[in-house]
Order: sequence, then structure tokens, then C-alpha cells
Amino acid sequence: MEQAMLWGVGTSAYGRFPDRRVESLAWTAVAEAVRDAGIEPGEIDAIIVGSVFGPPGVATRVQRGLGIPGVPMWTVENACASGTSAYHEAVEAVRLGRFGCVLVLGVDQMSTLFSGAIVPEATDPEGASSLPLPGLYALQAQRYVGEFGVTPDQLAAVAVKNKRNGTDNPRAQLRDAVPTVQEVLDSRMIAEPLTFLQCCPTSDGAGAAIVGGERGNPNDLRIESSVLVSGALWDHRSEEAWGYASVARAAEKAFAEAGRTSREIDVLEVHDAFTIGEIITLEALGLAPRGKGAELAPSGYTTRDGVQPVNPSGGLLSRGHPLGATGMAQLAEISWQLRGRAGARQVARHRVGLVETMGGGAAGMDGNACVITILSTQS
Amino acid sequence: MSDLGVGRPTKRRAGSAVGGLPVADPRPTFDGGAVLGTRCAECRYPTAQQELPWCPVCYGAMDDARFARTGQVWSSTVVAIPVGTHRPPFGLAYLDLDDGPRVLVHLAEPAVLELGARLEITGTDDGNLLASREVQ
Repeated sequence: MEQAMLWGVGTSAYGRFPDRRVESLAWTAVAEAVRDAGIEPGEIDAIIVGSVFGPPGVATRVQRGLGIPGVPMWTVENACASGTSAYHEAVEAVRLGRFGCVLVLGVDQMSTLFSGAIVPEATDPEGASSLPLPGLYALQAQRYVGEFGVTPDQLAAVAVKNKRNGTDNPRAQLRDAVPTVQEVLDSRMIAEPLTFLQCCPTSDGAGAAIVGGERGNPNDLRIESSVLVSGALWDHRSEEAWGYASVARAAEKAFAEAGRTSREIDVLEVHDAFTIGEIITLEALGLAPRGKGAELAPSGYTTRDGVQPVNPSGGLLSRGHPLGATGMAQLAEISWQLRGRAGARQVARHRVGLVETMGGGAAGMDGNACVITILSTQS
Repeated sequence: MSDLGVGRPTKRRAGSAVGGLPVADPRPTFDGGAVLGTRCAECRYPTAQQELPWCPVCYGAMDDARFARTGQVWSSTVVAIPVGTHRPPFGLAYLDLDDGPRVLVHLAEPAVLELGARLEITGTDDGNLLASREVQ
């Protein structure tokens, strides 16, 4: 099997850009990724796109400007894990020798669909019951408050940490100020116990990557593992919070494939659409026992100068969350971190990095999909 | 609240509550006495979903079933933003029905309830299951 390598990454800025064409966001990201990989566009032999809200045909409209006609191309949708699902397909294809150089693109433009929280999907049993995404996460948070005694301050500490990181990210959507724990708690309530500053913003953006085989370039990052799992039933038998099991399922495979333990990861980008999400995810990744993940941010363990920095980019909470683009934004940050090019956000130890993206929202399943990938430098 | 769609082309999403076209109602059904759903003839797995091709746990045949309208709260929250046709605040809970599935219910009185609190479904409100504290 071929060793898959990450050749290059690129992103647009993240924010609300309703006046920009969605293709232009994509082209910005693709152009940077192609430059970063040091290739000519014509070397790309397949294109895989991840997007949730499209619009339908967006991949082809992007392709029209790239001069890469006729290559195999397809679009995948796995909720918030769409971008990394596309990436995972590229990695698998390179490993199996199907393609030698794949362009991965994640893109979404939320500002032209939603003025606030995502309107729940009307064909979903819980979406039709007006359960918004922040409400779904709030139900998990309340379970954690009741079961483990997680406090509002502990939840807010995740937002403070990530928003502090985001102030050093010139591409982040929210980077004007670092709130205090009290200011996070005093921001308006969205769904108890989650306040406004504990929820990611509505965002537009794109992220791209070039995945290929080994080519003797020291800048390339080794893809030690890439795992995609789909959801499983989350129902009356489930004691764990929604989402936990899908991340844990992917984590077990990802660490086994890389031959590593969670302690060996130097820097992580994980799915913090809401503060409780980062807490549950880090438990599922094995950074803390179940019920203890809320201590990681307040203790400083996951701050940029901590033992295992989490979301140095600012995370979804600060960088923004254009669904299909998010996984590729996470991948770009880990790439810049591992190559020592993260500027003011650079973490001290940066040999092994992990990206985790969890997409959900379909009622009665513990997630729509979760992708975890572990990368390392060649040194 | 929004200037979406003013003077420019717009995208559209399914669902009449958000200005799209109507869709089939996917929510659990309450007939006044019981929540309707299906149960596996083999492993007894209960679900509020209907028209399943087989049991999603053991692949057995699914029979129509009636579930208790009472149960225990797995978790609850009070939503403070407008969602669809709902104006805030409104309460939501995951309710593990006695011998039945976990269903999402709206709370008659918006409040965060203790885990395991006993509720009973008293009816529906605009098609949503509506629950309040069980009367002992």
C-alpha cells in the first residue's frame, strides 16, 4: 500500500461573505493549496469535494475555473464531517494506488441560508420538533451537569481558551476580543446552559488540500492514519452523551492504525461547535476519563502552552464553522503547526498532530459521521 | 430579523415552517393514550419510527406497538432562541418512555428538570409531543 502524504493546504478567510460567490471562496483555498504543494494544477488527477448545503453543482462550477477538466470528481455530504470525509476518500484512494495527486475541497456558504442558528431539517423527527443544534448540544451539557457536576465556569473556560487562540488567527471570524469566563456566562442564553459565546458563529469559507504519495519532499506530512466511521443508534439504551460513541469508535481505530496512544499527540484540532462538544470529544479521544474532560481547559492542560494544546486556531468557536470547510480548516491548521509555520499561534512541540471532525444532527444516531486523522512530520 | 432574500436570488429549504414547501411529518404520533411506534418481534427493540424495513438491532420483523406515555427524563433544556414557529423560551427533554424508546418532548412548563424526573405525555402541541410532571 502507498504511504499517503499531505502535500499542501490552503484556506479562504472565514466570516460572513454573502456578497462573494461561493466559487471565489473555493478558488482562494485551492490556489493556496496548489502553491503550498508546489505542483501545477494539471498534475491533479482527481477532485473530491465535501459540502453540506452545496449548492448542488458547486463542485463543477468551481472546476470550471481550475483548468482540470475530465478527471474523476465527486461530492460527499457527511454533515460537519463532509470536508474531512472527502479528505479521507482521497487518502484511501492514494493508499490504494487509484490516484497519485488528489485535490480535496471543503466549502459552504451559510450566510446566504441562515441569519442565526441553522434552521432544523424539516424531514428529521427531532428537527421537525424544533430541536436546534445548540439545543441538541445543550441537552448533552445538561446531562453532564447532572451526571458529573460539570459547572458553568468549566464550560465557559473552553470558549475563553479558544477565543484567545483565535485572536492570533488572521483568518478567524471572531478575533476582536478575548472574553472573560464571566462575560461568556453573561452573554445571552441560547439553550441552557449554553450561552451565545459558547456557540460557533454562522460562517462562510473554504479549505483545500493536496493529498499524494511519497515524493521525497521534506515539507510533506506523513498521514499516519485516517479513519471514517458513520453513526450508530443513539437511543434509550445509550448512557453516554450523544456524539461520544461515534468519536470513540473512530479514535480507537485511528490510534491503532497509527500505532500511537492519545498521550503521544502534540497538538489537536477538534470539533468544538459548542463548548460541551470539545469536552465530550476530548474524553472520547482519551485525553481525560469520562466526566473529567471539563477540567482540561480550566487547568491549562489544553491551552496553547499546555501539555496537549487543543484548537490553537481558535476552533469552530472562533475561526467559524462553514460546515463542509471546517474539517479542511482544521487540517490546514495542523499542517501549519506541524511545519512550524503557525506564527503567533505556534505550539512548542509539533511533531504529531490530530484532526477530529464530528458531523451530526440526524435524530436517533450518535453522529452522522466522524473522521479522525493523525499526521506527523518526517523528521 | 433577517434581510435574507431581499432584492437578490435565494436558496430554499424544505419545510413550511421556514417558508419552504410542506413535507411529510416525521415526528412520533400520540393517539391520546399512547405513543405509537414499532417493536421488534424477536428482540423487543422499541422505536418511535415507522415503516422500517427490519429491526435495526437484530434484523427481525417490526410490529406496530403502543408505548407508555410516561417515562424518565434523560436530559432537558430551555431553548432561548426562536426556532421555526416556536417563540422562546420553550423547554425540551429527552424522555425514556417506560418500556419504550427515547423520544424528544416539549415541556408544558419550560424548565431544566433533574435527571430521571418522571414525566407524562399529555398531548401534542402543533404536532409536538407535550409532557409535564407525572401526577402521582
